[in-house]
Amino acid sequence: MKNIFSLNVISGILNTMIALATPYLYAAIGEVFAQTAGVVNLGVDGIMLLSAFAAFYVALVTGNLWLGLLAAAVVGLLMGLLMSFVSVSLKAEQGVSGIGLYMLGLGLSSLLFKVMIGTVKTIEGFKPVELPLLSAIPFLGPILFRNNILVYAAFLLVPIAWFVLEKTTFGLKVKSVGQNPAAADSLGINVDRIRYVSVCIGAVLAGLAGASLSISLTNLFQDNLTAGMGFIAVALVYFGGWSPVGVLGGALLFSVVNSFQLWMQVLGVNIPSGVAVMLPYLLTIVALCVTVNRVRQPAALNKPFERGES
Amino acid sequence: MSKTAQEVLKRKTGRVEMRNIVKCFPGVRANSQVCFDVDPGEVHALLGENGAGKSTLMRQLYGMYRPDEGEIIIDGVPTSFRSPADAISAGIGMIHQHFMLVPTLTVAQNVALGQASSRGPLLDLKVVTARIIELAEEYGLKVDPEAFVWQLSVGEQQRIEILKALYRGAGLIILDEPTAVLTPQEVEDLFKTFRRMVAEGHSLIFISHKLNEVLAISDRITVLRDGKVIGTRAAKDVSRSELVGMMVGREIKALDPRPREAGVELLRVEDLHAMGDRGMEALCGVSFAVRSGEILGLAGVSGNGQRELDECLAGMRKSSGGKVLYKGRDISHCTLNERVDAGMAYIPEERMRDGAIREFSVQENVFLHDHESPEFRHGIFLDFAKMRSHAEALVHDFAVKTPSLDTPIKNLSGGNIQKLIMARELSRKPGFLVAAQPTRGVDIGASEYIHQRLLEQREAGTGILLVSEDLDEIMGLSDRIAIMYEGRIMGILDRGQASVEQIGFMMAGVEMGEALSAR
Amino acid sequence: MKSRRLTAIALIAVLFAAAAVAAPIRIAVIMPSATTDLAFSQSMYSALLSVQKDMGGESALVLKHTDNMFNVPDAAAAIRDYASQGFDVVIAHGSQYGSSVQEVAKDFPKVTFAWGTDVNTFGLSNVYAYTAAAEQGGFVNGFLAAKLTKSKKVGVTGPVKVGDAKTYVDGFLQGIQYADKSITVSETWTGSFSDVALMSAAAKTHIANGADSLTGSSQSVVGSIGAAKDKGGILWFGTQFEQTSLAPALVVASQVYDWTAMLKEIIAKRKAGSLGGSTYVLTLANGGLKIAYNPGYALPAAIKTAADATIKSIANGSIKVQP
Repeated sequence: MKNIFSLNVISGILNTMIALATPYLYAAIGEVFAQTAGVVNLGVDGIMLLSAFAAFYVALVTGNLWLGLLAAAVVGLLMGLLMSFVSVSLKAEQGVSGIGLYMLGLGLSSLLFKVMIGTVKTIEGFKPVELPLLSAIPFLGPILFRNNILVYAAFLLVPIAWFVLEKTTFGLKVKSVGQNPAAADSLGINVDRIRYVSVCIGAVLAGLAGASLSISLTNLFQDNLTAGMGFIAVALVYFGGWSPVGVLGGALLFSVVNSFQLWMQVLGVNIPSGVAVMLPYLLTIVALCVTVNRVRQPAALNKPFERGES
Repeated sequence: MSKTAQEVLKRKTGRVEMRNIVKCFPGVRANSQVCFDVDPGEVHALLGENGAGKSTLMRQLYGMYRPDEGEIIIDGVPTSFRSPADAISAGIGMIHQHFMLVPTLTVAQNVALGQASSRGPLLDLKVVTARIIELAEEYGLKVDPEAFVWQLSVGEQQRIEILKALYRGAGLIILDEPTAVLTPQEVEDLFKTFRRMVAEGHSLIFISHKLNEVLAISDRITVLRDGKVIGTRAAKDVSRSELVGMMVGREIKALDPRPREAGVELLRVEDLHAMGDRGMEALCGVSFAVRSGEILGLAGVSGNGQRELDECLAGMRKSSGGKVLYKGRDISHCTLNERVDAGMAYIPEERMRDGAIREFSVQENVFLHDHESPEFRHGIFLDFAKMRSHAEALVHDFAVKTPSLDTPIKNLSGGNIQKLIMARELSRKPGFLVAAQPTRGVDIGASEYIHQRLLEQREAGTGILLVSEDLDEIMGLSDRIAIMYEGRIMGILDRGQASVEQIGFMMAGVEMGEALSAR
Repeated sequence: MKSRRLTAIALIAVLFAAAAVAAPIRIAVIMPSATTDLAFSQSMYSALLSVQKDMGGESALVLKHTDNMFNVPDAAAAIRDYASQGFDVVIAHGSQYGSSVQEVAKDFPKVTFAWGTDVNTFGLSNVYAYTAAAEQGGFVNGFLAAKLTKSKKVGVTGPVKVGDAKTYVDGFLQGIQYADKSITVSETWTGSFSDVALMSAAAKTHIANGADSLTGSSQSVVGSIGAAKDKGGILWFGTQFEQTSLAPALVVASQVYDWTAMLKEIIAKRKAGSLGGSTYVLTLANGGLKIAYNPGYALPAAIKTAADATIKSIANGSIKVQP
């Protein structure tokens, strides 16, 4: 109780926060791409599951984590193509096709796990890489610069995604097809193609989110490994107002509260564990109420594009 | 596209010719053997009623649709456009009736959208901004490249659309109903820009159903009706009435309501205040009165509080201050139903949103309100036989063209939907009617019919508030004209007291005294 | 003539007897998680497989299973389906299935239902209830952890404070108290039976706080074990199933649920005509609970002897563990 605010505990909380935030960052930033282009992909969790399995299985069989990562990306891409085909080409209701994709990922990963691995096994995941000099910074060094490569990449993704969306011609196209696809179409932009690419970027990132769970954070695979993280990631996109920086804020807030409540339990602070577990969700809801900003919402979100309807 | 190619295209797209174009949609032959051509440096107007096939024809020229038959020939070379991108690179630009802008992006971003950048995959907004400023000066189009589109007025947004086309080096620019949302003064400015563009060597296709404008700006005029070309005339050799005849296929009687003594005061609005959808005050103290047997026309550019006023009167929006009195009784806090029961009727501006249910049949839409009336009920059950005969009578009396009473209303044309809504509202024999934009998007035949019905109601002693952006309609029907600007009534004039020009000034916010003295 | 009739009667009798022998018992089981969870569901599934093998395979025992039934209404439908398909015994392996069993069992009086972990048979004569006195193995694990920890800090990671997750942890805490009162135990509850990542983070938190011995319950503890394995030098105490395979270097011992004896008794009782009505509790005394030491872990002989003595004391009742 007395040592809640000791340096050791604070650095522990921040350490856990960074680890917990990693899969959310990949998945939510991926979803920012899809939603900015006007496609809500609720199948993120399913993509994460199937990719987490693929990464784990390939790493288990070949012993090569990089091949596992590649497998996760490929599975993510395939799932992304499936989602785009159904929701962009066939113009199906996005919410329903997303849930369908989730079910597919959940069921297929569980089945393949049973058939191909059978029981819970663990592997040696990505090891922390200490960045020279930086990791020697007192206090912050060990928190920020002694993580594994997937964690660094997740945080690096934030400025990269921001740059792509704000500073490139591709980003401008993505935003325009999400806000006013008819306008984009009238300027000769292939709306469907941009949506395909955006959904697939999102799906590949969701795949990496799955890999970060199975070969970097937990180093194992089990049925329903994600336990709904993909859905939290979708919520974080709304929370972050469709901006990578906002998503980073949301992911860190959610994770820090989660890690804070774990530490409170470990340190024996006398609150019921049920209340502690609720904290991150409660705070997220409160923060959503305070920060809700519909103005940034892509106007064509959830709407398939058909030329000539005005 | 290289800079030099852009320079060439900017000044000149050669002769564009569309030959024997046929385009069908399920159930409709939108264009049938249409021939149309534009010479360099010419303004060629495409005139026709809604649904005549003007936009469809132009969307083919812009690569949005592909013709079923026929060919497009540019400078003697048959060309086929697979997408707007092809049309753009052939030097064709199009400005759509509904602006094709992304409101959350800046002007420069909207202009740069879809264009190759000088920095490869990275945006070059500085270069774009410089070029926008250059073009803006050249053509007299004032814009701020860094402003967000949602911050801009309609007129400014239109300038950006024109800049977008110019930026892409369009030699030929198609303008689809560009004046629909502008005040008369803004139209005059727009026409100045057009003349400047022509002087620079551009050719323009001007789509419109407004005769005066077409006659004012065009070199040649082609009239389309029911997807066919009725004829092409040189603007200097054709009269207004000839064009109307070509558009409608028959003579249209000019409106001339007999002067009539108005009766007792029916509706009084006192210092009415209300909030708009965005939380800003949309009505800032509106006062007026309407007497029985009188049409009060409410003129104004849309978005100046007319919709909020209609909704306040109908009981669909809460007022935040002031009073509405109907026959001397304060109805400010009455529900929509109570107002209907008191004898008020409402023809809403957004007929498909507030006036009808898309998927419901014609008959069901007739009974959206009256299904609770004892006349059409047996206890808790609906009296279908009686409902049907009532609906049949209305459809017949108001000449609503529908395949059957069970057809979903979304399959009817705009004019027929409006006639049906009008039939429904008038069948209750209202004492007071709010008619908001009753002929917007309605063909001339149906408009004429609706106007006649409104005048009949006036004869019958109904008080009518006619809200319209169409000044011809306002001037033709109203006994008195109120002009609305930014949530206020700028003044109320008797019919014949003011010219279109003076009303136009007031619509743009000029005070009444000043406007009337501006001769 | 007479002899021919006798032969015929004998033949029919033999046929009947053969039929009676040949008709296999049909058992169906519904489980909340996967049959490979190295925990609760797998403990039951492995027991059923072993009973099947002992009885002579498929010809004696037909076994069907439905796993991953997190969703109770789906599970209720599955229970009813199996009952209506003529299964002799339907096992609903999860305390959340209680009300479903109560409802379906009334409609199928000839089918034996077994459910756990709980003690309530709802007063129905065709329902068996079963549970495990998880606190007993928890006590032994706690005793071992107290003897082995060097940092004097022990961490517990659990899902939700209910059922055998709670009783196990309660026993574990009593075992630690019994062995060494100076040891600090901290608990984390993640609120989820399936959130492996959070369970892993919880374990890492304990380790960061200085704990060198961990335990935990539910199918998501594989996350904790993974975290402990990553860190190295951490001891793990398992429950519900033999967890050595997951981290051979870390696991000291596991409390193992062995349902085989109970299952065999249910089958035998049914054959004898008793369809249900009683409650089974797995204990160290009746052999339903076992402590499986990891042969790969060099447990000091003195500590092992003390632990074995504790097991005996619990079994003979001289140590009372409160659930």
